[in-house]
Amino acid sequence: MIRLEGAGIASTIQDGGRLGHVHLGVPISGPADPFAFRAAQSLVGNGAEDAALEVIGLPFTFRSETSRIIAVTGRDVTVTVRDRVPSWTALFVRGGDLVRINGTERSRYTYVAVSGGITSEVILGSRAAYPRIGIGRVLRAGDALPLGAAHRGAEDAGATVSHAYGDRIAAIAGPHADRFAPAEVERFFAEPFTLSPQSDRQGARLEGVAIAPKVGELLSCGVVTGAVQVPRGGQPIVALADHGTTGGYPIIATVIAADIGLVAQRAPGETLRFYRVERDEALRRARERSDLLATA
Amino acid sequence: MTSLRRTKSPRVVPFGDLAFMVELGDQFDPALVDRALQLAYRWKWGPAIPAYTSVVLQYDPRHDPAMAEGRVARLLRTEGQQAVAVMRPRIIEIPVRYDGPDLDDVAAMSKISVAKLIELHSSREYTAYFLGYMPGWAYCGSLDRRIVATRLTRPRERVPAGAVGVVDGQTGVYPFPSPGGWRLIGSSDAVMFDPARERPSLISPGDRVRFVPR
Repeated sequence: MIRLEGAGIASTIQDGGRLGHVHLGVPISGPADPFAFRAAQSLVGNGAEDAALEVIGLPFTFRSETSRIIAVTGRDVTVTVRDRVPSWTALFVRGGDLVRINGTERSRYTYVAVSGGITSEVILGSRAAYPRIGIGRVLRAGDALPLGAAHRGAEDAGATVSHAYGDRIAAIAGPHADRFAPAEVERFFAEPFTLSPQSDRQGARLEGVAIAPKVGELLSCGVVTGAVQVPRGGQPIVALADHGTTGGYPIIATVIAADIGLVAQRAPGETLRFYRVERDEALRRARERSDLLATA
Repeated sequence: MTSLRRTKSPRVVPFGDLAFMVELGDQFDPALVDRALQLAYRWKWGPAIPAYTSVVLQYDPRHDPAMAEGRVARLLRTEGQQAVAVMRPRIIEIPVRYDGPDLDDVAAMSKISVAKLIELHSSREYTAYFLGYMPGWAYCGSLDRRIVATRLTRPRERVPAGAVGVVDGQTGVYPFPSPGGWRLIGSSDAVMFDPARERPSLISPGDRVRFVPR
């Protein structure tokens, strides 16, 4: 069991996502920054189905009842357990120790994995919270969260994953690139965009040059995480974990799976730029990421 | 629910690195909706999202992603070769009070009386084409052509759960409070989506839907 003392503002339990109900309009959810989540989970020996915490709003503080291996990942996070200890690292925490996580104004989504995973209630095949419709809820100070049997012990402490949050985002053109004039697609891949404060787990909202599609709206179609929808007005929205399963705006490009977290973690006011890759390159990058975690 | 006729070959476009968009056409046609639904049911490698004229096939990266393209090609090659019993459509009855704030406007736009509007809306069986937008929201059609309802030019900031809306030949029930641009003609106490139910969504894709005045 872990007990939360400071829970942030919109922190939730997340796992790999709710894949089985997309055809009923249920978002997949899961972590907004899938790489940081997977890194934390592999550092503590957890598998794809195990659940961890996604923290929004630092500082975040908790104690584990028993000694456990934990890992904290995210952007610009610092961890204190008695002394300052590294993030993106398997840490051995003794029962009763206070773990304190701090960040900067650039920290958006922080992941806390505990070996054995959080064994909260499974709803519709997943522990991923989607509080908007009453699937799970936002975590509160005082919450006591149950844990599964630990996969790793003290001897596994010290493993690390290295990761940098850049501002260059790889995307594959389409599926609706042909609904835009070629010059508009060029502009999309050339110009910088600024993150709007309205961004959330549904989508990263971008501000910058207006991108004009040839047609305003399409018949609704399925949408995947990373899809860059261009609503009327031309300010793109990148679909993140809680995005609607269908949408009617043309999709100019789709961020590759390996780079979703880079978009999610940009803070309001920061910029990013897209660059174009093909599917083969994206698959190679995804393999590199998995290999990186396999050796963690 | 099986349509074996094959029309022009689908267009397959990469949708990021872990999904494909299969476009079956670009004009609304119930036969395409049915094809999209069948393709979605037959896709076994990850989530699939059927819609009006397309289906998005997502690929679970725990399978080898290099195989994804071949698996999509195979799915399309074998389309219509067997009459798959995709699903048994159920008939879902939804009790409605015809008391929506746009009831008079829709009747006026349609140049019919309110009583006639209610009669037209509640006297036919609709098909739930697909679900999306939010959990449990089913796009149902088609409306009697005499019902004319355009999208609100200024969408409401908050439509209550249970509101029954119409727009452009379609009808649906809001499962949760949300912003919305459909014209509201009624309200229902039916719980459209409940994560605690064994079948969380009252309506599944392909179901038949009836509105029962009360």
